[in-house]
Amino acid sequence: MTMTRPAIERPSPAHPGSGGSARRRVLALAAAETRLLLRNRTAVASSVLLPVAMVAAVGAIAVSNGGTVDGPGLIASAIGVTLTYVAFYNLVTTFVARREELVLQRMRTGELTDAEVLLGTAVPTLLVTVVQVVLVAVGVAVLGEWSAPVDVVLPLVALLGGGASMVVLAAVSTSFTRTVEAAQFTTLPLVLTATLLSGLLIPLTDLPEQVAHVARFFPLTPVVELSRLGLVGKTWNGQAVDTAGAWAASPLALAVLAGWLVGGALLARLVFRWAPRR
Amino acid sequence: MHLIDVGPRSGQEPTAPASAIEVIGLERRYGDFHAVRGISFEVHPGEVFALLGVNGAGKTSALEVLEGLAPPSGGSVRILGHDPHSERAAVRRYLGVQLQHSGLPGDLTVQETVHTWARTLTDPRPVGEALEQVDLSGRTDVRVRSLSGGERRRLDLALALLGRPRVLVLDEPTTGLDPESRRVVWGIVRGLVRGGAAVVLTTHHLEEAEELADRIAIMRAGLIVASGTPHEISAAQPATIRFTLPEGAPPLPQLPGVRVEHVATEVELSTFALQSTLTQLLAWAAEHGLELMALQARAASLEQAFLAVADGSLPTAA
Repeated sequence: MTMTRPAIERPSPAHPGSGGSARRRVLALAAAETRLLLRNRTAVASSVLLPVAMVAAVGAIAVSNGGTVDGPGLIASAIGVTLTYVAFYNLVTTFVARREELVLQRMRTGELTDAEVLLGTAVPTLLVTVVQVVLVAVGVAVLGEWSAPVDVVLPLVALLGGGASMVVLAAVSTSFTRTVEAAQFTTLPLVLTATLLSGLLIPLTDLPEQVAHVARFFPLTPVVELSRLGLVGKTWNGQAVDTAGAWAASPLALAVLAGWLVGGALLARLVFRWAPRR
Repeated sequence: MHLIDVGPRSGQEPTAPASAIEVIGLERRYGDFHAVRGISFEVHPGEVFALLGVNGAGKTSALEVLEGLAPPSGGSVRILGHDPHSERAAVRRYLGVQLQHSGLPGDLTVQETVHTWARTLTDPRPVGEALEQVDLSGRTDVRVRSLSGGERRRLDLALALLGRPRVLVLDEPTTGLDPESRRVVWGIVRGLVRGGAAVVLTTHHLEEAEELADRIAIMRAGLIVASGTPHEISAAQPATIRFTLPEGAPPLPQLPGVRVEHVATEVELSTFALQSTLTQLLAWAAEHGLELMALQARAASLEQAFLAVADGSLPTAA
């Protein structure tokens, strides 16, 4: 070992530091987490395969029925499916894994703020989600089923707002998830309500009316609703709308999405644990 | 416009430097359990303060407040004049922390790990220099999961020092290190302190505290039960003289203020005045022509003081 003498101040050379910028701190952590993700071949393979399989399966079913593929509807479903099954589940397992291996606690001893630690850790998962939706959109275009959306802002809000609400809801879910394995069960409440009551797989119009009205307040429903409004041009109860009509039908969904985002963030601040239970 | 200089004359040193760490009446409770029961200390720039105590004495619980990881249940902590929890943004840039237990992703290399950490810091030191300082230059491309325990501990230290901290909190920095690496860590800590840093550390190695610390506090059950320089703390314990009396020796002389333990021919004297007690003893032996066999005289060690106060009897002074 070499004993380095300490206090020779050098004129500060070009160094990799953040210079105090929050954006650069988050990017630093996000870059490291992305590198870790890319080193996990299983995760990379499943991230690419899921959307490809989804397009292929839906395409094959449609072709075998002699029917047409609802391309925009498929993209809207992709937003809901990737946010729930990929983003939410991966975020819970990643947060729990980093907590249990004491990485989160270490990150808190540096200059990153708590929110920056969570965001930096979540970035790769969110990127994967976006890439998957893009892949599905490309697949739809390749199948020749692309049609111009009624509105692009609403689906983008659904994707980004949905991603953000998945981050805070995943953070809340880690508070009752003691191990990575336990995430298979602790993610079920959100995954099941998202699957059955969001309009993702079962249209809300197929549900009893009172149930449908309640279901509109569940976390993933506004994501599916806004995606379908913009991409397909249909409201939650199946009415066709143009751009103005899509926006006119959007306030409740936007409010519900914002509500889950803010409520989830406040709750996460209260219940999130940074270190394993002692 | 005339400016009137009301500040101190240039070149005039402030009499007492402001403390880098100020802990007043710090308490921590977990439910009913009172882990830290009101402790106070200060650490000045250029000073090493060691917090000692058996496991469960409350050291790590106290340090977590200094590190800004937890709010105090009572009392207050100031790092460079700021609350490390509620004013975290003002403190973090100048605070280096080595936790007792902390993790790193196993699949990043040493170089990637330090580089990532550097990118989160406002003004990091060069990565190569930081790795060289802890003797990890030859391990830059090794994944963290393949490092030995001692190497990981040194990597922890490199990360804690990367942001040029003015205040360092080191929770058992040398646990798991071989003796050579431990000395290197001592050298690093001394260098930092010479550069004006304030250091708080915990350790289970009493010789480490004796070697490094300007001042020591010993905690027991959430309270500081002894504090002072290593010398002051050990001086609070009596020195001991041991010997074996030869057969047929006359009774020992009266030695005021000395506790005598006599088992068969083995004698142990405890005294706060080692030199004068020893002088009297040797004079008595010479007078009677006795040879005291296996004669030993030693001042109280920090270890002895620690054992006396850390669990069990109350401190006799200090």
